[in-house]
Amino acid sequence: MITLGCDVGSLFTKAVLLCDGELAASAIIETTGTIAAELPGFIEDLLARGQVARGQVEAIAATGRGGSLAGEADFVEEEMACVGVAVRHLMREVDRVVEIGGQSISAMLLDPDGDLLDFVRNDKCASGSGRFLEVMSDALGIPIGELDEHAARASRDTPLSSQCGVFVESEVITHLNAGEDPADIAAGLCDAVARIIVSQAKRLSEQAPYTLTGGVARIQGVVRRVQRRLSGEYRAFPKDPALAAALGAALLAAE
Amino acid sequence: MSIFCGIDVGSLTAQAVLVADDERLVGWRSMRVRPNPIDSAREVTDSLLEAHGLERGGLGSTVATGYGRQQIVEQGLADGNLSEISCHGAGAQRVLPGVRTIIDIGGQDAKVIRVNDRGEIVDFVMNDKCASGTGRFLEVMSRTLGVELSRLGELALGARETIELSSRCSIFCETEVLHGLQRGADRAGLAAGITRAIGERAAALARRLGVEEEITMTGGVAKNAGVRAEIERLLALRLADCPVDPQIVGALGAAVLARRGAR
Repeated sequence: MITLGCDVGSLFTKAVLLCDGELAASAIIETTGTIAAELPGFIEDLLARGQVARGQVEAIAATGRGGSLAGEADFVEEEMACVGVAVRHLMREVDRVVEIGGQSISAMLLDPDGDLLDFVRNDKCASGSGRFLEVMSDALGIPIGELDEHAARASRDTPLSSQCGVFVESEVITHLNAGEDPADIAAGLCDAVARIIVSQAKRLSEQAPYTLTGGVARIQGVVRRVQRRLSGEYRAFPKDPALAAALGAALLAAE
Repeated sequence: MSIFCGIDVGSLTAQAVLVADDERLVGWRSMRVRPNPIDSAREVTDSLLEAHGLERGGLGSTVATGYGRQQIVEQGLADGNLSEISCHGAGAQRVLPGVRTIIDIGGQDAKVIRVNDRGEIVDFVMNDKCASGTGRFLEVMSRTLGVELSRLGELALGARETIELSSRCSIFCETEVLHGLQRGADRAGLAAGITRAIGERAAALARRLGVEEEITMTGGVAKNAGVRAEIERLLALRLADCPVDPQIVGALGAAVLARRGAR
């Protein structure tokens, strides 16, 4: 059985092609103001990459902030539900998930079926989200994709005390002007995001094994600092963590 | 006659104020801050003292408030330091004797302060965790909108309709304003949405504390007519006009408290 899941996020749009429960192909593009018009071509490209004809796809599910823009979808599912399903499908032993999206951060507690037992979500404020890191990497002059290599050679984590993105941005600029090593500031940013993730995760459980999903979970500097600060065993999401919601949508489409 | 000095280093500007024995305002200076609050404090006071032909040693006493107020004392630039809340309370009550509630919106925080008839603090609430509702929000939004901060209020007041912002977060609002501009939305309408957003934050803070009239507004954001109009509309009351530049009220209070402390 072939299904497709499409996650139209606030910053990036992700899609996965699922063949008999296995991830066959995936694609990611930036979510622009014209994403609705771009989606058909995006999905076509994904099908071509997976060498699958449109007629072979049995169901398409959409999710994410802009999920309703995917006109080709048979149904739209809530993002946290999708992440829960994806995590349960790939990780039997993990009950706690923190999904860091482009404009939100959600901590979830899953039951044995992957349904949500409880969750806390912040989508009111950019603190800790992908957008937060975008603003900071702009201020720092280091692309997000290179934050890790800079943070890895840091001699310390520059302390950043604010929660608010606007205030952290000012702190970053002040540190740069004071001659602080950008690598140390990059490490400090990883720690700032990790602290926010940890505080969300702790609100649900202190001990449960956990994983991290969403694009920010690709950044090892963040993941390692979460591990240092959060009790409970960490398990890495076995696929690209940015794809978790899209994968869950494809799994739900198969049901 | 002795002269007393108050210094208030904010996140964006620094002020120094001189008062006489009778707490009358003698003079003041305001300037953009330096990276270091001690440099800001020294420069703004030196410039003020020079204009009045005074020397630091000839002052009755000096009180510092705001950022780095302790270090300013340690550097010998002030004799004592007091919280911004105490200083804003005393300063506002000095120029508006009937004032009981003060909304003070600075560069990086917003406070609502209740004072008694002697200008002493009864209670206060404060937001310094989040830029939304502070001067920083206005600064970021006017930059995004491509409008001078000093013109934003007038622009908002002239809007035919208010384009409301759906987010609270400054970073999300920035994206909303950008998208609005890309769609060709009316700049004045967006400006009105921006002043409404900050007015709503201030009104919510004021309601949390409870408002007793007379009420006034201090801090740099008090100069924004659009924000003032929104707060008046939301709280359904009139803000008393601050008889001095609202940005110097903290420093004025510091100077007044320097005078009272010397008694």
